[in-house]
Amino acid sequence: MIEVIDRGRWTTIQDRGRSGLERFGIPPGGAADWFAASVANELVGNEPDAALIECTATGPTLRFDVDAVAAVTGGRVASIGDWQAVRVARGSSLAIGTIAPGLRTYIAVRGGIDVPVVLGSRSFCQLGSFGGGFGRPLAAGDRLRIGQGIGHEPLIEPWPLSHRLPVQGPWEVHVIGGPQTDAFAGDALERLAATACRVTPAIDRMGLRLETPTLRLRTQEILTVPVTAGAIQVTPSGGLIVLHVDHQTSGGYPVIATVGSADLPLLAQARPGDTVRFRIVDSIEAARAWRRVSGWLAHDP
Amino acid sequence: MWQVAPAGDRALLVTLGRTIDPGLLAQVLGLDQALKDNPPAGLRSTVPAYASLLCHYDADVTDPARLEETIRQFEGTVKGAIPSGPVVDVPTRYDGPDLPEVALKTNLTPAGVIEQHAGREYLVYCVGFAPGFTYCGALPEEIAVPRMASPRLRVPAGSVGIAGRQTGIYGVESPGGWNLIGRTALRLFDPAADPPARFKPGDRLRFVPIP
Repeated sequence: MIEVIDRGRWTTIQDRGRSGLERFGIPPGGAADWFAASVANELVGNEPDAALIECTATGPTLRFDVDAVAAVTGGRVASIGDWQAVRVARGSSLAIGTIAPGLRTYIAVRGGIDVPVVLGSRSFCQLGSFGGGFGRPLAAGDRLRIGQGIGHEPLIEPWPLSHRLPVQGPWEVHVIGGPQTDAFAGDALERLAATACRVTPAIDRMGLRLETPTLRLRTQEILTVPVTAGAIQVTPSGGLIVLHVDHQTSGGYPVIATVGSADLPLLAQARPGDTVRFRIVDSIEAARAWRRVSGWLAHDP
Repeated sequence: MWQVAPAGDRALLVTLGRTIDPGLLAQVLGLDQALKDNPPAGLRSTVPAYASLLCHYDADVTDPARLEETIRQFEGTVKGAIPSGPVVDVPTRYDGPDLPEVALKTNLTPAGVIEQHAGREYLVYCVGFAPGFTYCGALPEEIAVPRMASPRLRVPAGSVGIAGRQTGIYGVESPGGWNLIGRTALRLFDPAADPPARFKPGDRLRFVPIP
């Protein structure tokens, strides 16, 4: 078992999420930085759908009452050698501490975190207050069972630097125009792409509010439509909201463009004050970006 | 003509229209059923809402051009009919915090607002936003008021709200900007139930005032 000694800022159990339930108002959820989470599972030899611990801004302190193999990836922490599998001896504690640069750090434990599957996933869903073992973020005193989700031996080498995504801005984020392109002036998308957007403090797993002081896009509310993770909504006052993995499943603000799947992890690491620039791509280029990043996972370094 | 547009690199949004209209919802449900009966290669799941259908696909199996072509085969041929299910009673206590304000804005008494809201059958157009949230229409013009200027951070589950020509029920506690006029004890979302949401688009319901 793993005992939570200190919960950290906002620590939850996540896996690859529960897709396909949006018609019930349930967001897909899962690790916000799917790439760092997948690497963490890969490093310890877990199955890709093993659940792990997602830390935000300040990580938890955990005590292990068994020998374990763990890997820490994502936003940088000073407390432990990250992006590599490490042994954690029975009786010892893992204190993650402050995360910087980056916002979210993942702790995978060989075997996975064994909490009940709810609606196809072990992920905590904040909007629905279910999943993640407790229907809430982790709290001091919680005890986590280690599962059996082992796929292969842990990797010996650290994960190569060349096969990681940057956890610190400024980032260039690939977007595909639409779907509500016609709710905007003809040059709106180009103007958005020419603007450096600043991340505000209003960020969570549901979405990120961005500031664009030099750009004001004009638009109006539309009839409620289904929305996806990565959708860049424009509010009537010209503000931008980028939806993330725990997004509302429908919305009434027009979506000018949508962030490609390969780049959603970048936004998971964004902190207030970071800068994001959007680059417009077509679906072929977005697919290429996806294959590049997912290819890093498919072939062990 | 349907509009088919990319919603990122894993989904296409099919927009059949832009108004709250039972005929458009019927077409959305018809298309949804047609895709379920004849699933195109790579289609993973669909999400219906009002006059549009979001189609998530597996980019390793299909591409947007191919999926759009398949979807467009149903344009003009899809049969649209609202399923004729029973009208579900939603027992509602009309004691919402915004009822007096809504009455003021509509030049009605609170009882008049309740009479307008409860005195008819509604069609469920969408379950979305948050788990189990049920969007219904159409609200009579007499009590149509805009969304609140600044949303509440916490709206209790079961709250009955109105905004524009829509009325909705909150499935879980969530933030929200609709004017709250009442509350129901009916459970709209249960992660242990199958399906987890009480209502689906095309269902009919009626608010029944209770003391």
